[in-house]
Amino acid sequence: MSNTALEVGALAKVFGGLAAVDGVSLKVAAGERRVLIGPNGAGKTTLFHCITGTLKPTSGQVTLFGRDVTRLAEYSRTALGMGRTFQITNVFPDLTLGENLALAIVGTDRRKWVLHRPMQAYADVRRQALESLERVGLAGRADQPAKLVSYGERRQLELALALNTRPKVLFLDEPCAGLSPAERQRISQMIGELPRDITLLMIEHDMDVALGLADRVTVLHQGRVILEGSPDEVRANAQVRDVYFGHA
Amino acid sequence: MDRGRAVLAAVALAAALALPSAAGPFWTGLVTQMYIFGLLALSVDLLLGHAGLFSLTHASFFAVSAYTVAILQVRYAVPTALAAPAGILAGTLLALLFGLAVRTRGVYFILITIAFGYVVWGVAHRWSSFTGGDNGVTNVPFPALGAAAITSHTQYYYLVLAAVIVCGLGYRVFMRSPFGLGLRGIKASESRMQSLGFRTSAHLYAAFVLSGALASFAGVLYVYYNKFVNPVAASFPVSVEAALMAIVGGTGTIIGPFLGAAVVLGLRNWVSSFFELHAAVMGAVFIATVLWAPQGLVGIAGRLRARFGKAKERTP
Repeated sequence: MSNTALEVGALAKVFGGLAAVDGVSLKVAAGERRVLIGPNGAGKTTLFHCITGTLKPTSGQVTLFGRDVTRLAEYSRTALGMGRTFQITNVFPDLTLGENLALAIVGTDRRKWVLHRPMQAYADVRRQALESLERVGLAGRADQPAKLVSYGERRQLELALALNTRPKVLFLDEPCAGLSPAERQRISQMIGELPRDITLLMIEHDMDVALGLADRVTVLHQGRVILEGSPDEVRANAQVRDVYFGHA
Repeated sequence: MDRGRAVLAAVALAAALALPSAAGPFWTGLVTQMYIFGLLALSVDLLLGHAGLFSLTHASFFAVSAYTVAILQVRYAVPTALAAPAGILAGTLLALLFGLAVRTRGVYFILITIAFGYVVWGVAHRWSSFTGGDNGVTNVPFPALGAAAITSHTQYYYLVLAAVIVCGLGYRVFMRSPFGLGLRGIKASESRMQSLGFRTSAHLYAAFVLSGALASFAGVLYVYYNKFVNPVAASFPVSVEAALMAIVGGTGTIIGPFLGAAVVLGLRNWVSSFFELHAAVMGAVFIATVLWAPQGLVGIAGRLRARFGKAKERTP
């Protein structure tokens, strides 16, 4: 196993005439916490989609632990250790929180094909689901349908779903989007407490959250990387201020 | 609550067992049809109510299986022990082919399945040297397993009842299994399922084949009841009615498709005895269901129970 968890080489995604991602290269070390920042429309989410396989890139490569995964389908990348959350909450509204997590747990093993045994017969799945709900602050909610819990709680569920696919590299797309300051703090604390053997890539607009969690920061603007550095370097950089706040 | 449900099931079972002696041959025959078409509707609902796929080709599996049994039994004198499994096999093989439709979604899936259905109907209708054309295949005997043979419609009624109960119990396990839960997940959010590691197209394909196998089984029960099969069994209206039965009764449930079959077949039988435009009445029922009771009869029952339950809570 190489020391590099994820390598993205000259990745581009063109929609019609618009290059949403325009030749991005990244190298993320195993165990690193990398935050992507950039103004709206910089191509952050599109880059995530191309890396995790939700979208096919127009050109470029994605390598996971030295293995070229550019042509693999999304479910295969999940099996190889990519997990993700979505910017727009993507859970199963009609299922209970417990069922939501049960799907995440069996999604990466062969039990997802079983049709002669009820899901509830798998005591270990139930136990893991309950533990996981407790860890993200949803203890005692396993039998509630996801559509009946609050928006903030659905964001917590979203995070729990991603964590239960046993990710080696976790992609979080604005985990704090739309949350109150208190919820925001709770989620960022949860992310901060994740074990260090999970490599983390995160898109985040909130500079305090972003720079507090990151080992390194990559700044995207108009589909290109304009800066990569430590949180302090990014904070001090004039070009970043320019991009975020416009010209004086 | 659970006790209430058990009592209800026991009463329903007792009524079903008593029906032939209590109600006579007309009702026995009609209810046999309700069971058979309820099973077909259940197979359609496996895709519609759980996976969110609206198939309009299930008459194909139903008819191919019925034709296979009829031709083997009548022309080649193949015994039931071989003909019935061969019917299910033939319908399931067709489902393996038609299942490729799961590469599409939404309205494209509906259109492709309609086209598939017309292909099968066209073959049944035009390839008369093999299928018997419009006359179809007649004189299908009752099923017989060695010395054990069905000799009356009453006996056949009990056989179909047993088959429906076994299928219903099996379906219940399936609904709660990881695979069944996966289908509901795909219906709710396919993109999330993929990011959780599910190969959703393979999942849907497997569900399609399973659903086709169940429709084929209904076709076997149908041909032994009906004694003949002609291209009507493969026609578009049969596929549509099966879907509408599931919707009228309540999708995503086991009892719903059977209730829907009872309503559709019962109403048609009754209305057509005094009103020539009975199809228009059926149309009005379907429109009313979609407008005012999209969850079907099961949904209405749930709403009544909620209201009744609340009223009981208020009066101590």
